[in-house]
Amino acid sequence: MFGSIIVSGLAMGAIYALIGITYNTMFATSRVMSFTAGQLGMLGGVLGSLFILKLGLPPWLGFIATLAGCAVMGVVTELVAVRPVLKSLDQHLYVLSTLALALMVQQVTAIGWGTEPQPFPRLFGLGSGITDEKFWLPVIACALVVLGLEYLYRRTLVGMAFLAVAEDNFAARALGLPERRLRVWSYVLAAVIGGIAGFASGQLMLAFFANGTLLNFYGFVPVALGGLGNNRGALVGGLALGLFQQAANFTVGGVFASIAVFVLFIVVLLAVPQGLFGSSTARRV
Amino acid sequence: MPLSRRNFVLGTTSILGASAIGAPRFARAASEPLRIGWLAALTGPSSAPGVGFDRGVKFAAETLNAAGGVKGRKIEIITRDTQGDPTKAVNATQEMINSIKVDAIWGPTNSGESLAVTPIMARARMPNIHPCVIDSLIDPKKFPNAFRIAPSNEQWDDATREYCLKVLKVKKIAVIGDTTGYGVSALKASVANFKRDGAEVVYSNNIDATQPDMTPDMTRARNAGAEVIVIWSVSTGMEARLFNARGEMGWDVNFAGHPSMASGEIRGLLTKPQNWDKVYAVGYRSCSYDASGKLPARSQEFVDKVQGKVNLDDTLFWWVTAGYDAVQMVAKAVQESGASSKEIIAYWNTLNPYPGYFGDYKYSPEQHNGYPTSDVVMSAANSAKHGTFALAPGYA
Repeated sequence: MFGSIIVSGLAMGAIYALIGITYNTMFATSRVMSFTAGQLGMLGGVLGSLFILKLGLPPWLGFIATLAGCAVMGVVTELVAVRPVLKSLDQHLYVLSTLALALMVQQVTAIGWGTEPQPFPRLFGLGSGITDEKFWLPVIACALVVLGLEYLYRRTLVGMAFLAVAEDNFAARALGLPERRLRVWSYVLAAVIGGIAGFASGQLMLAFFANGTLLNFYGFVPVALGGLGNNRGALVGGLALGLFQQAANFTVGGVFASIAVFVLFIVVLLAVPQGLFGSSTARRV
Repeated sequence: MPLSRRNFVLGTTSILGASAIGAPRFARAASEPLRIGWLAALTGPSSAPGVGFDRGVKFAAETLNAAGGVKGRKIEIITRDTQGDPTKAVNATQEMINSIKVDAIWGPTNSGESLAVTPIMARARMPNIHPCVIDSLIDPKKFPNAFRIAPSNEQWDDATREYCLKVLKVKKIAVIGDTTGYGVSALKASVANFKRDGAEVVYSNNIDATQPDMTPDMTRARNAGAEVIVIWSVSTGMEARLFNARGEMGWDVNFAGHPSMASGEIRGLLTKPQNWDKVYAVGYRSCSYDASGKLPARSQEFVDKVQGKVNLDDTLFWWVTAGYDAVQMVAKAVQESGASSKEIIAYWNTLNPYPGYFGDYKYSPEQHNGYPTSDVVMSAANSAKHGTFALAPGYA
């Protein structure tokens, strides 16, 4: 039982962490919490199954096509749901616009793909039981994404430009950085991360239109736990959430497991409102 | 009032006048087609049953019209695609009652829609047949116009419980439902009924259907000593994960319960085909073939009748036959009694039984659940053949 809790808890935790990072990446350049993050994860699974199982593409090509499809969705999100409401961020209209887009994506998927879960292909055919690839693929994907993002933000000019826009977009614009283009690219990057989460977890979560809502919900928890905009916090928060959730499934089970997860979530937020790794910022009054 | 010559003249003139006004309407009604409203979820989520029912509906209308219709009136099916949406079902029902003025309505075919439209049809006294399973949809006092052509959820539960206790002869039961309203209420009823019949419910739980790994719940059920696992959920993903978890645990416990466990979609979600063995889903005697592969005679007659005209390969046999029977029942009521709502409802109340292809339906003014419980049986979930299934082991 202990092995199952660790293995499947880490796998689910890695998926939640990746969706949390998707939220953060979109938030960094736009100050918008885009509720399309979970739907990007769902699309990763559905498009992967579509390209590989239905259209017969080889897995590597299916993977690239899936990420390309998610990237397009990222651009659409920025153009349709984010850009029009940026001027009035204080009114939080983005909650409505991104939720509306997320619902549209979900409904279109339900109509076009179906409301029943569809199979996702085995990618490498490795392992069985608790060593099955469906458990360790999300963990490896999460590790690679985190390392890749660290490299991007610390070692590349583009990454530093992202950070500059995230830090102070007015100052970044004054320095001549193409803020709007960088924002679009950050949405593309976020969408690719969401797509990787969905693709890597396809065997575990199946290609299912309703996964978007689940990922939106549970992917938001590590963001809140770890601190908004903090990828390391999202990683730790996601893994902790996955492990705790799976332990609760084994010990109390069913709906009580969800209750246990959210009781803990509320307790943590009451104790540390800015998140475990977030820092409180002063507000000019 | 004394009968004077003036009163007599006034009265007879009034009667003659009223008859004259009503006569053209009566003549028009006799030449008008017999309109049957069909509330069908043909597109969007949950459209598979609607598509299957629709094939039976169209075939019945074509057959009746080819034979000259009913009392010289052609059958006209007024189909509205509700997409499984209760709001669209309500709008379509209002249109059928108020604008099109249909003679009877068949459908809707899912309980969510039916909960929304049943009171509307009851207020309009519109004869209605539907196949929705929620028990509260049938109440001859509140909804004297509504008749069920398929089993209720209670009948599914009875068949499953009887199979577990009398055929499998097990006493320690695990009951699992999903977290939808249906899953919660079905689990509660099932647990209560098992306990009432002397079984020991060693484990029961509602699981989120999107939970990716079912090993925790299966482990808890095994540790509790379960000898059969009863499932109440429409989620094929959840069911396939439960079967896969059983396979990975090397546990050979039986599954029994909801018909969706026999859905073809499960095949693609299994890690091994044998994970679907020893899974018994609710089925129907008319749609089950025996050990020699033979269907009951009347069902075979239907298969022969629709050969080359209706595709049975990608749907369920009972959807097609129930759609066919529903249209035939409306036609039969008009043929035998009359076309008014009152006459159709009164006729259905006398059916004892109506020999349909899906089953022998029995109705009375007090009982509008027409499907015979004895015809609700368990099927081997992985044995689908042209929409029919093999009887589960243990049936004669």
